[in-house]
Amino acid sequence: MKSFSKKVLAGTTVAAVALAGSIGVLAAQEKPVIATVVKISGIPWFDRMNTGVEAYQQANPDVVASQSGPATADSAQQLQIVNDLVAKGVNALAVVPMDPAVLEGTFQRAMDRGIVVVTHEADNQMNTLADVEAFDNADYGAALNERLAECMGKEGKWTTFVGSLGSRTHMQWVGAGEENAKKYPGMELVDPNNESFDDANATYEKAKEILRKHPDIKGFQTSAGNDVLGVGRAIDEAGLSGKVCLVGTGLPNPSADLLESGAITAIGFWDPQKAGMAMNAVAKLLLEKKEVTDGMDLGVEGYNKVSVRQGPGKGLLILGNGMVLADKATYKEHLF
Amino acid sequence: MQKTGAQLAMLLVINGLLLVAGGLISSGSFLSIFNLQSMASQVPEIGLLAIGVMLAMCAGNGGIDLSGIALANLSGVLSAVIVSSFLSVTESGAAFSLAFIAGALLVGLAGGVINGLLISRLNITPILCTLGTQMAFMGLAVVVSGGKAVTVGSPALLSSIGNDMVAAVPISFLVFMLVAGVVAALLKFTPYGLWLMLMGTNPKAAVYAGFPRNGVIVATYAISGTLSGLVGVIIAARNVNVKFDYGSSYLLIAILIAVMAGVKPEGGYGRVVCVVLSAVALQLMSSLLNFGGLSNFVRDFAWGLLLLAFLAVGRFDIAGFLSPGRRAQTPSVPVPQAPK
Repeated sequence: MKSFSKKVLAGTTVAAVALAGSIGVLAAQEKPVIATVVKISGIPWFDRMNTGVEAYQQANPDVVASQSGPATADSAQQLQIVNDLVAKGVNALAVVPMDPAVLEGTFQRAMDRGIVVVTHEADNQMNTLADVEAFDNADYGAALNERLAECMGKEGKWTTFVGSLGSRTHMQWVGAGEENAKKYPGMELVDPNNESFDDANATYEKAKEILRKHPDIKGFQTSAGNDVLGVGRAIDEAGLSGKVCLVGTGLPNPSADLLESGAITAIGFWDPQKAGMAMNAVAKLLLEKKEVTDGMDLGVEGYNKVSVRQGPGKGLLILGNGMVLADKATYKEHLF
Repeated sequence: MQKTGAQLAMLLVINGLLLVAGGLISSGSFLSIFNLQSMASQVPEIGLLAIGVMLAMCAGNGGIDLSGIALANLSGVLSAVIVSSFLSVTESGAAFSLAFIAGALLVGLAGGVINGLLISRLNITPILCTLGTQMAFMGLAVVVSGGKAVTVGSPALLSSIGNDMVAAVPISFLVFMLVAGVVAALLKFTPYGLWLMLMGTNPKAAVYAGFPRNGVIVATYAISGTLSGLVGVIIAARNVNVKFDYGSSYLLIAILIAVMAGVKPEGGYGRVVCVVLSAVALQLMSSLLNFGGLSNFVRDFAWGLLLLAFLAVGRFDIAGFLSPGRRAQTPSVPVPQAPK
């Protein structure tokens, strides 16, 4: 027994050293590999994106497309996955950064190695060849607010929720909403920019507080995915469904009950499935050394006529028109 | 005593197996020089934090340092904000780099000394104390940075720490090895090391024996804090930016590494070389799973299995048949057993 274990130990050590010593050569891939990396895996939003990546793979057998993501919401874990993929030698990265700033260094190293880098939800990313956004954030915020104003009869008190004050897109949305509301002198913004931290329960408590403080409030515009659920529940429990308007970012499936009861007026979102497909489509175009031009059709619904601008860094900023506003009547078309 | 050898042998075997498995799965590309470099430059952050945790654990009396990554982020953020207020990255790159590194190390040292003083003078339980300071450090980093990422930039010196190689080995990894060596030497050859281990084994006896208890505790947490500061420098060098919430998952991983390395949670025993190997093993495993395109949830599962395997090694005397030759050797650190 003793000598056997010893032999095993010696054997593995020798084998490991021998293998480590012989520098492996990257096996030449016949098909280009596009690796999609999301913020966190196993949540509905990115599961939906995965269906897009799979659909893209089916439609484009000439590339290898797959999705991965960290198990915990930590930018360091996402960074590690990207690092490993770069080392593995993928041809293109399609990343939804947890934190664009943290990935800058790695993206720079990846691009230095000739890897195509495409991002999503990161319009401030410097080191990327192209950032794909579903829509212009200002347009989206204004559209949400327009829908809210319509429901409120263009007058009355309203307030806003953001995931956190540091969340760039959320602040852009409510900012554009406030801008839009200035068109209607009857609309009065009270206690704006409540932080929800994307926690439905905390949002529910906060919304109850606001309903007590302002019994005459008429509207809520929310930003993080779980906000509509928290605020909707507070409205529902107060028996104010249909009397208080609620428009915000949310997903159709979780919001279904509250949409049916009338607690949520409308939800706005973009389809992560389409965004995943669009990222991969752009990555493939760049791999083939083709140009992405203004008004181009990426072959993905909502990205049929993209507008292309110069991004904050060297790369392009590609804006689609993938915005979806759904209410009680229409949400069933987008169940996910 | 035999455990020392068993743990080390086990870690070597695991590392070897992971390399072999990686080579087989990826048909060689896992062992390409580029991937080895990539993995080597990912290890230092978590490895240095784990050494800090190990030192705190060795001090005994429930010693642990939960504030590691928070202090690392604070070091990077605070140093970047202060230094960039009087030096420009573009104009005086070298001076900026040096000032930034010195600043981060000082912040780390100060944070560690605070931990040490709170624990030794006020007799606060380490887990509560460092939990408190962890939140305080993180909160301070949020306030200083306004919750945003702080750009450090890439002046030549910093950028070379993050990106360059010496003899095909990433500089950050060399720094890690050097620091690990220094800490190991400190534990082995100085009275401090002896005091630390003996105090961890039996705090009461240590006090009656006239050990400088407070001094040892403050020194321990100060070293741990300085290591955090160094982690802050490496993060900044590699990522160009520093942010308060970077690496929130590192806290538990650092503890996992220390436990896997056979560091005794109740104090009195721990070897730096095992911590280094255990950090490398975790890195190999997670990179391997990323190479295989497996879900990251599998990784958590695999880490759990690995930890259980190591605990089993610690529990049963596998040392006897794994390394009979090692028995004769004198152990590197004298580990007297406390009478229970």
